[in-house]
Amino acid sequence: MLWGLLAASIPVIIHLLNRRRHKTVKWAAMQFLLKATRESRGKKRLRHILILICRTLGIAALVAAASLPLVGGFFGMGAGKPDLVVLVLDRSASMEAKPENSGLSRRALAIQRIRDAVADLSGTRLVLIDSASGAPQEVPTPEVLGELSSTAATDSAADLPDLLTTAANFLAETPGRAELWVASDLQLSNWLPEDDRWTRARASLESLPQPPRVRVLAVSGESAGNQSLRILSSRRNGDRLELELEIARNGPALSPLGVPVTTTLNGARSTDSVTVTGQQLRFLKTLPTPETDESGFGWISIPGDGNPRDNVAYFAYGPALPVTSGVVAQPGEAADYLSLAAAPDGFGGQTSERIGPDALSGKIVDETAALFWAAPLPAGPIAERLEQFVRDGGQLLVFPPDTDADTEFLGITWSEIQNAPSEQFFILDSWDRADGLLRDGIDGTPVPADRLRAVKRRIPQGDASILARWDDTEPFMVRQVIGKGTAWFIGSLPDYSWSNLGDADVLLPLAQRAVVAGAVRFDSGYLTRVGASDSLPAPNETRERFDSYADASTAQADHIAGVYRLGDRVRAVNRPASEDLAGQIETPAVSPLFEGLSFSLFEDTSSSARDNISRSVWRAFLIAMLFFLLAEALLCLPKAMPRIESPTAGAQPSTPR
Amino acid sequence: MSQDPYDFLDHDLLSRLGSLPVESRMPMVGNVAGKHRSPHRGSSVEFAEYRKYVPGDDTRRLDWKAFARSDRFYIKEFEADTNLRAYFVVDASGSMNFSGHGESKVEFARRIAASLSYLLVNQGDAAGLSLCTEKLHLEIPPSRRAAHLQRIFDTLKDLEPEGETGLVDALHTIAEKIAQRAFVVILSDLFTDPGGFSDALQHLRYRKHDISVFHLMDPQELSFDFERPHRFVDLEDNTSLVVEPTLVAEEYHTALNDFMKAVRDKCHDANADYQLVPTDTPLEPLLREFLTARLPKGK
Repeated sequence: MLWGLLAASIPVIIHLLNRRRHKTVKWAAMQFLLKATRESRGKKRLRHILILICRTLGIAALVAAASLPLVGGFFGMGAGKPDLVVLVLDRSASMEAKPENSGLSRRALAIQRIRDAVADLSGTRLVLIDSASGAPQEVPTPEVLGELSSTAATDSAADLPDLLTTAANFLAETPGRAELWVASDLQLSNWLPEDDRWTRARASLESLPQPPRVRVLAVSGESAGNQSLRILSSRRNGDRLELELEIARNGPALSPLGVPVTTTLNGARSTDSVTVTGQQLRFLKTLPTPETDESGFGWISIPGDGNPRDNVAYFAYGPALPVTSGVVAQPGEAADYLSLAAAPDGFGGQTSERIGPDALSGKIVDETAALFWAAPLPAGPIAERLEQFVRDGGQLLVFPPDTDADTEFLGITWSEIQNAPSEQFFILDSWDRADGLLRDGIDGTPVPADRLRAVKRRIPQGDASILARWDDTEPFMVRQVIGKGTAWFIGSLPDYSWSNLGDADVLLPLAQRAVVAGAVRFDSGYLTRVGASDSLPAPNETRERFDSYADASTAQADHIAGVYRLGDRVRAVNRPASEDLAGQIETPAVSPLFEGLSFSLFEDTSSSARDNISRSVWRAFLIAMLFFLLAEALLCLPKAMPRIESPTAGAQPSTPR
Repeated sequence: MSQDPYDFLDHDLLSRLGSLPVESRMPMVGNVAGKHRSPHRGSSVEFAEYRKYVPGDDTRRLDWKAFARSDRFYIKEFEADTNLRAYFVVDASGSMNFSGHGESKVEFARRIAASLSYLLVNQGDAAGLSLCTEKLHLEIPPSRRAAHLQRIFDTLKDLEPEGETGLVDALHTIAEKIAQRAFVVILSDLFTDPGGFSDALQHLRYRKHDISVFHLMDPQELSFDFERPHRFVDLEDNTSLVVEPTLVAEEYHTALNDFMKAVRDKCHDANADYQLVPTDTPLEPLLREFLTARLPKGK
């Protein structure tokens, strides 16, 4: 590049050489030449200088356009060569998405760009910190960057604040003029711009003796058409395995999309098709699992598309466990309704057990999917036990007691009992149809919660998310998520002296959803995500991959989804759900994350490996070159010369006298 | 075969031009009878006018027939013819040495002066030569003799221009020195101060000389068609200047045109014939046109 820019001085050199290598002529009409030279100073000289500048800039622009990367948007103009480049490479599953009209993933394109850019900085040391391992690794030459196992595709997520802290720590031990390069798709769930750790990472970088220049290569742009598949929950219910699946698609959902879904269960494959009409489709897939099967595994897959990493979801299961619910309530109508809703007769082997508040043992807590609490709010050891139950993944549904009590549980208290005015009801007015126990069914059928009428109610008071409100905007149902489970506070009793909640329309789906969600914890032990502690083998455990969906390479097994045997355990390891989220951090929001540091962001929206991160710049340089050459041509246009008296042809006739 | 010592003379051309006389546009005062008009009344056969007799007039010139018709005395006057005395003033400054691609200005001046001198002497008129530089003013007085013509040719042959021009001073000297009316032919590139040149012309005009100016210019001086930078060395004083020709061409042409217009206007004011002559002009048409233009009307 520098050699190239020297070419820009060629017009000046030619000009100077021309002046030195002038021809000498004997001249007679010197008086006119002297006069012309005196008068041409100024405007003419300026014009000549402008011509020279245009030529120089034209060549400089041509050189700049030809030597793409160094003057590209990634490098900026006039950047010096660093001694060290620390590359933070996002290897998350979302980086495997292919840009539109491209055969390469964003990760591969980013590696290509970085490789070319580092190659131009010949002699600069390159250290890689990949998002999967998070460990600094020396890269001997940029050419091998794409061949390293630590730059290969993974099913993991990326934690950018943590990676930048790692980079800062590494740079603290490696003094010198360094640059920190980040190659990522700016996925919001990886960058977490609101995370407090950014402050720490930024402070660590700023406090270095020589704060590095930060360059972010955002491989964003339009993605190729893609559908992602994931398992929301898995539950073995008797001789069936119930998988709640979600297929989401990117881009506008202009028309229904038929997606063939292939199920591989214990080696047997079957395919059926589902139609995705909107952006996403949630559906329940039931697989037959003979009760004689103690355990098994499999995977659900959809055809290859814009991102090959999100087309499969793995599952595993163990022996069927009975689903038990507990009802803590004074005998009466409410207790009956709750017991019935928790375990309808002949439904999936569910059972319910009535428990006195004081009889809540550890065993019950450990084996119960959901607890229906229609008693004064617990306190003391009971409250602690219930909180632990929720934390472990249990579902706790708390109904208002019939008697006044001023106890508080999980920061929630009940208000006084409120009675509806005579011949009037409290009516459920609004509820969250996308989330919570009153959400619409998988097929979109709403729960008829608007039929709920109450004459008595108690308002749950305290900090919690409100999921349903009465018509006077007071909350009917609030939720507190604690650990893996949820505590629900519901503002009326399934008792006709309180409300018609006991009708099956509302109470049954509400109770069953809580039971199913609570039961998941007994089956979800087989499901885990890449990067979770239970997806990794313990020191004394060996790892073996069961599934044959992809190559069973063990080099990066920590970061690859699949069904694994880890010692005596079987785990279906899937990519984190956050990797399927389409949200990206807006580019203006990236700059504040590096406030105080020398920072530049280059958005690479190209789709070809042959392009490089300077493509948008070389076009500008080419246009600039054309502009300069055009300006030079205009400046060089000869002006109309004064007419010369009889330049060559014969003598002027004699002037008349 | 002996080589012609005066290679600037084209004998074929001179023989072709022999039929065209060199005429003066003004009456000449010569010392011998010739073919040119004289301001004095003489004894040629061509009637001029009648005038009243005054005492002292030669009674032999009384027109008795007119006296018989009118009873008054009239003197009958006739035109007097005399010879032409021509001075060729050749600029011998260094600038006359310039030649772009062909003949130099001095070579061209040499050919014009020699050819016209030959024609003049051949028709019985006198031709003289004056060479001028700042330091030198060589003058050969006019003479009608053939041997004198050879002297002129020899002088022209040996002419080696150098130094700065002394044209203006030379013209003043000639104006003062020549007592009688003469035909003054100036051959120069006129690279001198137009004001001084104008004064010299007016001086010549005051002395009633017939003036003709051949303004000799090299085509390259007119076109200034250089491209690369050049070091221009003055032929007169050897000063030099490195110039990018494309930068100054426009101003050069403007200055040159201004100069030529000024010179032409000065010549016109002095009632002098002016001819701009690029040195690539063929000599025959140039001289033929010059001579033809000087013929009296009706001839």
